[in-house]
Amino acid sequence: MADSTRVPSSQGFHQLQITIEHASLRNYSFLKPDPYVQVSIDCNPARKTEHQKNTYLPKWNDTFTVLVTPTSILQFRIFDHSNFRKDSLIGEQTVHLVQILQHYNGRCENLELAMDLLYESKSEGRQIKNGELVAVFNGLKIDMSTIPSQTNGETARSVDISFQNGAMMRSSILNGGIRSRMRLRSNTNSSSNNNNNNGQAQNGIPQVSPNLMAASPNSVNGGLIQSPSTGAVRRSSGMNQWDQPPPSINSHQRLTPAFSNPLMNSPSSQQQQQIIPPPQIPSPANSAGAIPIMPQNPTNGEVMEVENDDDEELPQGWERRTDPFGRRYYVDHNTRSTYWEKPSPLPPGWEIRRDPRGRVYYVDHNTRTTTWQRPNSERLMHFQHWQGQRAHVMTQGNQRFLYPQHAQQSNTTQAPVQDDDDGLGALPDGWEKRVQPDNRVYFVNHKNRTTQWEDPRTQGQEVSLMGAEGPLPSGWEIRYTATGERFFVDHNTRRTTFEDPRPGAPKGGVKGMYGVPRAYERSFRWKLSQFRYLCQSNALPSHIKITLTRQTLFEDSYHQIMRLPAYELRRRLYIIFRGEEGLDYGGVSREWFFLLSHEVLNPMYCLFEYANKSNYSLQINPASYVNPDHLQYFKFIGRFIAMALYHGRFIYSGFTMPFYKRMLNKKLTTKDIESIDPEFYNSLIWVRDNNIDECGLELWFSVDFEVLGQIIHHELKANGDKERVTEENKEEYLTLMTEWRMTRGIEEQTKTFLEGFNEVVPLEWLKYFDERELELMLCGMQEIDVDDWQRNSIYRHYNRNSKQVVWFWQFVRETDNEKRARLLQFVCGTCRVPVGGFAELMGSNGPQRFCIEKVGKDTWLPRSHTCFNRLDLPPYKSYDQLVEKLNYAIEETEGFGQE
Amino acid sequence: MSGAANRRLQKELADMRASGLRSFRDIEVDDRNILIWSGSICPDNPPYSKGAFRIEIIFPAEYPFKPPKIAFKTKIYHPNIDEKGQVCLPIISAENWKPATKTDQVIQALVALVNEPEPEHPLRAELAEEYLKDRKKFMKNAEEFTRKHSEKRHD
Repeated sequence: MADSTRVPSSQGFHQLQITIEHASLRNYSFLKPDPYVQVSIDCNPARKTEHQKNTYLPKWNDTFTVLVTPTSILQFRIFDHSNFRKDSLIGEQTVHLVQILQHYNGRCENLELAMDLLYESKSEGRQIKNGELVAVFNGLKIDMSTIPSQTNGETARSVDISFQNGAMMRSSILNGGIRSRMRLRSNTNSSSNNNNNNGQAQNGIPQVSPNLMAASPNSVNGGLIQSPSTGAVRRSSGMNQWDQPPPSINSHQRLTPAFSNPLMNSPSSQQQQQIIPPPQIPSPANSAGAIPIMPQNPTNGEVMEVENDDDEELPQGWERRTDPFGRRYYVDHNTRSTYWEKPSPLPPGWEIRRDPRGRVYYVDHNTRTTTWQRPNSERLMHFQHWQGQRAHVMTQGNQRFLYPQHAQQSNTTQAPVQDDDDGLGALPDGWEKRVQPDNRVYFVNHKNRTTQWEDPRTQGQEVSLMGAEGPLPSGWEIRYTATGERFFVDHNTRRTTFEDPRPGAPKGGVKGMYGVPRAYERSFRWKLSQFRYLCQSNALPSHIKITLTRQTLFEDSYHQIMRLPAYELRRRLYIIFRGEEGLDYGGVSREWFFLLSHEVLNPMYCLFEYANKSNYSLQINPASYVNPDHLQYFKFIGRFIAMALYHGRFIYSGFTMPFYKRMLNKKLTTKDIESIDPEFYNSLIWVRDNNIDECGLELWFSVDFEVLGQIIHHELKANGDKERVTEENKEEYLTLMTEWRMTRGIEEQTKTFLEGFNEVVPLEWLKYFDERELELMLCGMQEIDVDDWQRNSIYRHYNRNSKQVVWFWQFVRETDNEKRARLLQFVCGTCRVPVGGFAELMGSNGPQRFCIEKVGKDTWLPRSHTCFNRLDLPPYKSYDQLVEKLNYAIEETEGFGQE
Repeated sequence: MSGAANRRLQKELADMRASGLRSFRDIEVDDRNILIWSGSICPDNPPYSKGAFRIEIIFPAEYPFKPPKIAFKTKIYHPNIDEKGQVCLPIISAENWKPATKTDQVIQALVALVNEPEPEHPLRAELAEEYLKDRKKFMKNAEEFTRKHSEKRHD
């Protein structure tokens, strides 16, 4: 320690015993390194370990004693030893001793530090994590009162609140990239969690889960955690945000109970909306602002003990407190957030960590995954459900089908631009109208480089000019007028006509809007062929390769799909799973779509949530912003879903009907709320159906909702706070409320999703379809086992021998699979049969079998209650009548029938 | 505070304080958070007529589109109120809730339930059974429990 005299410190030296135990290094080249560790103290190289030969999992167990001051900076660098050239740096980490001392009240006894080894990658221009080093500090004990207080904000702030808990605090995240915990004297007591970790490290499994999936896309590159700024140990701005003393409890506008999600301190991204902060921790570090915790009011009498286990075990770093109103709340010092609900300890195998940007995340060592939201029982239940599906994903995939696709190639030629005004307003952004040499108008979408005949502004509404009806009689020709109207030239007679001469072609009035028979154009098969035609006529040559590892399917797919220009995603796909090289003639990509769609909907990513407790359709999670990069992911998923439609592949599970409607840019109705929030819906209906002037509702054109413990206030219109809702204007109010309810907290996400989608496939192409057809197209149909269906159905006011019931099943058996799927969709809200068959059909209150109930008169149409999988089937007089009414209900898609 | 539920609750609170309900007193609401109320239920009927029972009413952000929740903070020996203070009150259940329902109606329904237990819909089956089978014993236990655990009445 010759250099020690140069250490600029007046506080005297202390002995510190450092044991360099082991490390696990990233497998970064094909030659294994010969690693050794060099410890520097205050920039002076102090000690080195021996180098270990040829390993990614070096174990040294070298102990040395060094002299340190309380403010020493310790640098751990791990090198690859070489006999021939300069040893190369593998990774390094810096430890500010004062932070540790303050954290552990001046004591370093058997203190284990697990450090991320970071490496500045020149080629990638950023820091990457190259492994983890475990060292033990021992034998240092400093009276902290003798240490002059560190007034430079950073260290002062790092006095952890957990201080109060003193020795209880055994494990903690000191800052980005360094985790510490006090080892117990007897090793047998050490937490199983950590044993697991060590075990894992020794087994060569990196302790840090390789897929930090929910993290920023930048940081999930190959499982390496990237530090956004220089020096991962430095507190980045994100960290500082966490560290700032939260607002004191006095400023709380509202305390919210019965809340199970983490309360995030960071303000959300909803800018226009006013956010009222959740209860925060009065920070003890900020003594000036600290609020004394008021004792319970003695006149309150005996306050009920809600739980008898008062000295309940709280998870590490948690504390129970009582607010000035005697209400109990829980402080999580790890994340600096508060909860009303008593925390359940993290489930076995879970760990809380902080990323290099100081953000808290949760590691599940069981599945080696990470998530931003603290796992609670409901989330875990959903996750287990989700995981349970995994085994069946591909079996399901192989059972889905639609119709065979008829390919039709078109030859469009480029033509000069022609400007004209057709009274339809401007084309959507990125579209251009062009005219072929034969005067036929077509449309170019520059965004995703597609062309089509139909006007995107009227797609799905207007006469289609596509010749899908078969060949013309000989001597006939199709031509177009300058306005794009189709007519037929009969060269045999030298006449022209607007009437299609082909047999079976619609004549005059019976023509539907697409120029084919109305009944036919309502058919899904026809609509689908229109869509497939557009896809095929805009196909690009050649193919794109997407190479993936099954274990990192999500990240690999994300990076490759986002890297390519969107239109390239319309090239033929060539999917390769690493290690199982085979030719992708469609099967592999089918599997990829199915697997990735299931993966994307992993509830732990917080991107999507189930519509409600038992409806496993998905909707955007308004709390998705806990994942800081959620918008990027929504864009990715939008692209991916568009690819599925474009390439005619199926995804595992579908979205809610309102979500499909949103994709189709259809107006959402009050009725749509029922499927996602029945309670809210009932209240809206009550307002609609009752005279509200006399009942003191005190409603104004503004509304609140809560997400992650924050109340977000929203004015339904300008100055809505000042406008009272009356009988006169309640229609407007209900319209605005409906709109708000269906979009609150998810608008940005939806927008980005649709952007991503539209980059690959113009949204206009979907306009042929309604939301149910979109689901069919996206999820495919399954062969429906009618026996299983009938066996697991129940009846109310009918029995299995009732005429109508017998007719019903006769109808189901006689009809085709598409109709069956649509009937199921009509009654149950989805065309998907649960993995376990009809016995496992779920309703909004748990398992709910398919039910047929006798309701109404034979003049009524059948109705459905999708929440209860119930069909209200009136007592029809004949089989034919039943078939007619059922068909009508199934075919008719807009807002009817489901009451 | 501009919360959407705020004005409605301000008005309800003012009306309730003005009406001076005998059976619900000492209403306390934090100025900064009108979504949480507390107060004392003072039932008329024995075995609860000697005590006062603190309750907490918690209104959701979406009030009155979603119903409030009620919890007893004082222990009570009652077939319809469980050990955690939870109570099952039909007027605020998801199926029955109407945006026009006022908090004083909710309180009155609650007081009525305390006064007249409904052993057919018990939360504590053992108390319901005692109530039905051995009313005397139930009354004795409940009175004893009230004396021991409830708050003093100021009347």
